[in-house]
Amino acid sequence: MVSQQELIREARENGMELLPLEKDTYELFFGPQHMATENYSLILKMDGHRVVKAIANVGFLHRGFEKLAEYRPWHTNIALLLRICVPEPDVPEAIYSMAVDEIMGWEVPDRAQWIRTTVLEMARVSAYLFWIMGLSFKLGVYTAGQWAAAYRERLMALFEQLTGGRVYHIYTIPGGVRRDIPGDRWLRELKDTVEYIKAKLKDFDNLLFENYIAHRRLEGIGVMDKKFALAEGVTGPNLRATGVAYDVRRADPYLLYPELDFEVPVLKEGDALARAMIRRFELEQDLYILEQLLEMGPPSGPYKVQDPRLKNLPRLKVPAGDAFAHVEATKGDFGAYVVSDGKNKPYRVQIRGPSISHGVRVIEQLLVGARLADVPVILMSLDNCPPDIDR
Amino acid sequence: MEEITFKVAPESKVKKKPSFLKPWLSLKYLFKKPVTIKIPYESIEPAEGYRGFHTLDWNKCVGCNFCGQICPARAIEMTWIEVDGKMEKRPHPKIDYGRCTFCQFCVEVCPPGALGFVESYMLTTEWNEEELQLFDWVPIHPDKFKEIQETYRDWRFPVEKIKFDKETKEVTYYLRNGEEFKFKILGYGIRPPKPPAKPTVKAEEKAQAKPEEKTQTKKPELDAESEKAD
Repeated sequence: MVSQQELIREARENGMELLPLEKDTYELFFGPQHMATENYSLILKMDGHRVVKAIANVGFLHRGFEKLAEYRPWHTNIALLLRICVPEPDVPEAIYSMAVDEIMGWEVPDRAQWIRTTVLEMARVSAYLFWIMGLSFKLGVYTAGQWAAAYRERLMALFEQLTGGRVYHIYTIPGGVRRDIPGDRWLRELKDTVEYIKAKLKDFDNLLFENYIAHRRLEGIGVMDKKFALAEGVTGPNLRATGVAYDVRRADPYLLYPELDFEVPVLKEGDALARAMIRRFELEQDLYILEQLLEMGPPSGPYKVQDPRLKNLPRLKVPAGDAFAHVEATKGDFGAYVVSDGKNKPYRVQIRGPSISHGVRVIEQLLVGARLADVPVILMSLDNCPPDIDR
Repeated sequence: MEEITFKVAPESKVKKKPSFLKPWLSLKYLFKKPVTIKIPYESIEPAEGYRGFHTLDWNKCVGCNFCGQICPARAIEMTWIEVDGKMEKRPHPKIDYGRCTFCQFCVEVCPPGALGFVESYMLTTEWNEEELQLFDWVPIHPDKFKEIQETYRDWRFPVEKIKFDKETKEVTYYLRNGEEFKFKILGYGIRPPKPPAKPTVKAEEKAQAKPEEKTQTKKPELDAESEKAD
């Protein structure tokens, strides 16, 4: 009989890790079938109902986006890269397009910039509604989640009219956007939808964000301090919940954001409740930004760069060079680094998803000592998006 | 480095106080009309310009294979077609909906504007072998597709059955409005098929078809070379 120590050593020599068995602990495989984890899995070492150790087990979604992007023409990659972020597919489209625009030296027309900003904000609102759905399902407030899904449906109908797709829009392309706004009717419908969702925010507050039970469930779990968050490279609402004022829309302004007015929410607690409150406030601010954009109105002009090279898309050659572009997604700082060597395909496309920081290293630390029932809530309060990690 | 000023929201605006009574206010929704749609009695119609199935104007198509090159899923295969005993001058795209992602970049790049799309989108079968063959087709003329879409308005595929005769290589599309549409598939690829690949063409027709082929080969060859270089 081989001793346990010898087994562990043998496993380590072969590049594996064997966790020593201890009294009163057991290993629990949480996901990927679990609803809360979404194509992602956690290996939890449990002592009773408390987590002793958590290991993030990623890779269930790996489809090699970055490698595949090196084998497809420049424009075709849009149909591939947007799958990296399912709740807000416009973000990977926008960052890739902005990076390619920079290499090409294209000045995107004003109308295209307005449309891009509007689409990004609409994507943010629909992603936050999707997140409300997830959080309320994990807290057991199913009604709020069903409302959020119903209101998101209105935005999806608007996306359908604008882009021709409901979930995967494939709309923002290098040099502008693919289609013009369908007409004034669409703008009026968007205005109605913004007003409608804004009016319904009060109901969300009543049922979910001011709910006594939700506060009891969220308060004091998954606490992250400022130093730890900065060291691990956490961005977005998760970082703002620890007391750091950082927003890409202000720190590195892009598109029309310098002209827009919005407030950046910052809280010091760093727990799940603070993260939820920050997301709720940002949803309110996004609706406010959409109102401002509608008041501004789309500028007249072309919606695409007027370049003869765009007529031959399969052979479109991008001059050698590299560029980085990033935007503020609902999950955090989403960036793309694109390198071209002068051919009709990219040399390298690197996507920096926000979940790579809070979905792997941070979650392993935050889950230590948490109750099993809180694990899905902490996961949802971080707004983890597994395709970012597995891209 | 320059200091960035963030307009930070006051904490009182961001934070919400817990309340025991407020959640009960949501009970008012019990007396409101639900937003749910009762499928199949009610349905949502796709918006105008929804990216659905393709259409192809066979007379306009020049067989340049731009659609095949831009396709991210490589769902398009160029097909040599013979209608009423006469070979089409150029290959036409054959679209496999098992791979298609409905991005419609092929429609955008089409230089003569031959490829198009309609709103029909229902990509479902009852999992019969016959039905599975349906979704790999050379798209039909937009007018015909739109006519079928207007008559039924259930956004289904316009072809009910596709029959493929392996010996004669004859394909028959049985359209939903009772029409039949026959043609022959002679071969695949951007180069024209070799003579043995079309045994049904008689010697006389061959002689007629030859001068046409010479003019055709010019562009497809260029395409093939550049693809190798890529």
